[in-house]
This record gives sequence, structure tokens and C-alpha cells, in this order.
Amino acid sequence: MVLQKDDWHLTELLHHEHGRGDPFAAAVRATRMAMCITNPALPDNPIVFCNEAFQRLTGYDREEIIGQNCRFLQGPDTDKAGIDKVRKCIAEGSDVAIDLLNYRKDGTTFWNALYLSTVRGENGEIKFYFASQLDVTSRIEAKAAVEEQRDVVEREVARRTAQLEEALAAKTLLLHEVDHRVKNNLTMIGALLRLQSRQLDNPEMARKLEIMMERIDALATVHRRLYQSNDVTRFDIAGFAETLASDVIASSGRSDITLESAIEPIDISSEFASSLGLILNEILTNAIKHGLDGRRGSIRLSAVKSNGTSVITVEDDGHGIVLGKSDGGLGKTLITRLSKQADAKVAWVRLDQGTRVTLTMASSA
Amino acid sequence: MAKAKPLKILIVEDEPLLVMDVEMMVEDSGHQVIGDAASLGEVEALTLASEPDLVFVDMQLAKGSNGLDVSALVQRRWPEAFIVYVTANPRMIPEDFAGGHGVIAKPFSRTGFLAAMRYLEEGIIAPPPSIARPVDFVGARALDAWQVAT
Repeated sequence: MVLQKDDWHLTELLHHEHGRGDPFAAAVRATRMAMCITNPALPDNPIVFCNEAFQRLTGYDREEIIGQNCRFLQGPDTDKAGIDKVRKCIAEGSDVAIDLLNYRKDGTTFWNALYLSTVRGENGEIKFYFASQLDVTSRIEAKAAVEEQRDVVEREVARRTAQLEEALAAKTLLLHEVDHRVKNNLTMIGALLRLQSRQLDNPEMARKLEIMMERIDALATVHRRLYQSNDVTRFDIAGFAETLASDVIASSGRSDITLESAIEPIDISSEFASSLGLILNEILTNAIKHGLDGRRGSIRLSAVKSNGTSVITVEDDGHGIVLGKSDGGLGKTLITRLSKQADAKVAWVRLDQGTRVTLTMASSA
Repeated sequence: MAKAKPLKILIVEDEPLLVMDVEMMVEDSGHQVIGDAASLGEVEALTLASEPDLVFVDMQLAKGSNGLDVSALVQRRWPEAFIVYVTANPRMIPEDFAGGHGVIAKPFSRTGFLAAMRYLEEGIIAPPPSIARPVDFVGARALDAWQVAT
């Protein structure tokens, strides 16, 4: 590129307003900001002045620049909407600031932050257009890179989310399927035991089988209530106790036993639902079958939470039997072993009339 | 139409063990099973000596048929019959019970089933029932009238 220190006097039109030797003209020529001036009075509004920075930016020599319309910097990938905007502003005589993709002489591209403004004469007529160009390629490319990276991440997130949703749907379906099978199997086990119990001639055997059926029913009820709730990790043991008590009374056919229930929900970890469910089954069947054997009476059920512990109390006003030995002591063994597992305590108190059993659970259980 | 004990009961269930089991419990309650079917097709093919008073309907039935279709058929054929779903999948039942009257969820206990049977007996023969609705029996809106007096 030829650097011409006397460039300024080659553009006679500059003299029109600035005059030879004007320090402002010298500054324009020497600044690092690429600048040019066009004259709309000439055909096709050609460039009549450009500074050295403009030549460096575009790669053209002055002779190649002067006389060109600014569109000579455009190329195939220059945004048409951006060009239209510039044209519109020129036509209206208004200023414009816009980023355009421009082409150098060697065909390489750069992002041009173009600022175009009018230079008006005393009567307000447009004498010249003044344009400054700033190479903002690195900024635009950085922005594009960020956007591209963001798109990549968004696509990846969407893909992974879809995968996870699919996996969750499959797991949910599987859980429902397993739940359904467990329920059907428990129903079948119950049916088999009930059918077998009818065929037993030995009353002692029949009675023991019945006790066994009640235990399996209790487990079935635990499972059913667990999967009816929305949270399979928690189990309302107090609600279960109430269901079980009314079930056992109803099935005993004893209309002379009333249930008085005052409970608040007690959520325990579902991990201990089966153990605590079986314990309550032993307590309740004992009270109804043995405590109130052959006499009218009532079962009082309460469930209270306080200070980190939860207490379920089952009280009958019957014979005052601490625990029946009728099933060979398995009931008592079950209570001892299962309460240890579930970190619970079972206490039996003989009342003036009847028995009170308390089941104390740590709230974190 | 007045209904009397023994109630005539139809069991729609594809698991023979459960048909036997429910039949025994129905008879223990002093009622009569007048027929059973394992699929929608079998219900269509049934010829019954008399109309059922109460129909127990499983949701997942043989030959890819389901309890809701059986329920619709029962309502057309025997409009007087009470319909109670017996299912391990109560979530499949729509909120309006598709014209049914209630649900007994599987797995049921003998005690739970007998309690529900007694409640249904009283409600069907001489409503409203004198006993409270058993916890293991979920009633449809259609049975709201049974609730008031208890």
C-alpha cells in the first residue's frame, strides 16, 4: 500500500469546508479509525475521501477507492436487510449505526461496525455523508461462538432431558406393573389360605391358619395403603391401625364391640411399615379375640405425636389379658423381634378393667 | 324393585382361585353366586336364571377385555344391578366410576371383604346401611345417599 502524506490535498472537495492545512483534516487522515466521505451530489454517491486507516482496513489503495460507491465492500454473505437499512437511512438523510459483513480486496471478510451520518450545509442540505468503520470481527465472532456453544448445550440438555423423561416413564410403568403383581400375588396367597382353611377338620389347625391369614391380610393392607398414597416412602401407621381395628372387629361379627378412635396421622418410614403393621395386628387381634372374648366392650384407639416420639395406644375394657398364648407364643415373639427392628417399644399394662397396650415409636422411624 | 336376602351375585374375574375365594365369602355372608365369567365375551354369552342384584367386576380380564366394558354391558343388560369393582388397579377407574357403585381394592382381606359385603347387603336390601362404610370399600357418588344416615 502506498502511504501518501499529502493525501488530503488530493480531495479537493475537502477544501470546500476545511481548507488546506486544517488540523482537523490532518487528524482525520491520521486516526486509527477508518473513515470515508461520500458526495451525494455526484452520480451514485461516490467516495470522495478516505483515510489511511480505511485503506488498511479494506486492503484497497486510494485510487481504487475514490469514485466507488460504498457498496463495493459488500459481498455474497452481506446481510441484505442490513444493506436495505443503510439505503433507507441515506434516502431519509438520517444517521445509521449497523454491523455489516464486508469484504476486503483479497476476498477475506470482516465485520464492520458502520456509523454513517450526514454533513449538512448552511441551508440544511446534505453536502456529504460521513462514514466511520470499525473492525468488530472478534466481537461478533466471540458472540457467535457463545451463541453456538449455547445452542450446543441447549440441544444436549434437551436430548438428555428427553432421555431421562423416557427412562422415568419406563421406571414408573415398571413400578406400577410390579405393584400390580405384588397385589395380585398377595390376593392369591390370601385366597389359597382361605380356601385351605375350609378343608381343615382339625379345629386347632384351622384356628392357627386363621391367625396366619390375619397376619398376611395385615401385610396386604400395608402394601395396599402404601401404594394408594402419593409417597411410597412414608406410611401413615395411625390410619392403618384404624383401618385394621375396624376390619378385625367387623370380621369377628361382633356387633357388641365398639371402636372409639382418636388419631392424628403418624408418618413413619415405609421401611418399617410391614414390621409395625404386623405388631399392631398382634395387639389388635389379641384385644378383640381374647381381651373381649365372650363379653361386650370397646376398643379405644389413640395416636399422638409429641417431642420426637409417636405413641399409638390400644385399650380394651375386657378381661385384662396381657398376651394370649393361644398361638404358641409366636405373637409375642413377633412383637419382640419386630419392635427391636423398627426401634419401637411395646408396653402392656393391666387396667382395673381391661388392658392398655402402648406402641412407642421414634418419630424418625 | 325390592331386593331380599339372599342377594344374587355375579362374579366377573379371570383368576379361578379368586372366583372360588369370593364365592366362598359370598356364601359365608348368606348370599348366592348365580354365575361367573372371565371376560367380556363370557358375560355376553351368559344366560342367567335371574337378574343379578350385585356384580363384582375385576378390571383386567381375560382375552384383553376390561372391567369398564363389562360395567357398561351390565348396565345395559341388568340396569338394576349394583356394580362393585374388585381390582389391584383402582387408578384405572374413572372418577365417575363409569356407572359403577364402588371399589374393593386388591389385595383384600377376608375381614375387609366380609365387612364390605355386609355394608352392601344392608345398602341394597334396606338402604341406608346401619353400619358405617368400611374403610376398605370406596363408594361412588351414586352411594352418597347411603352416607347421610350413618
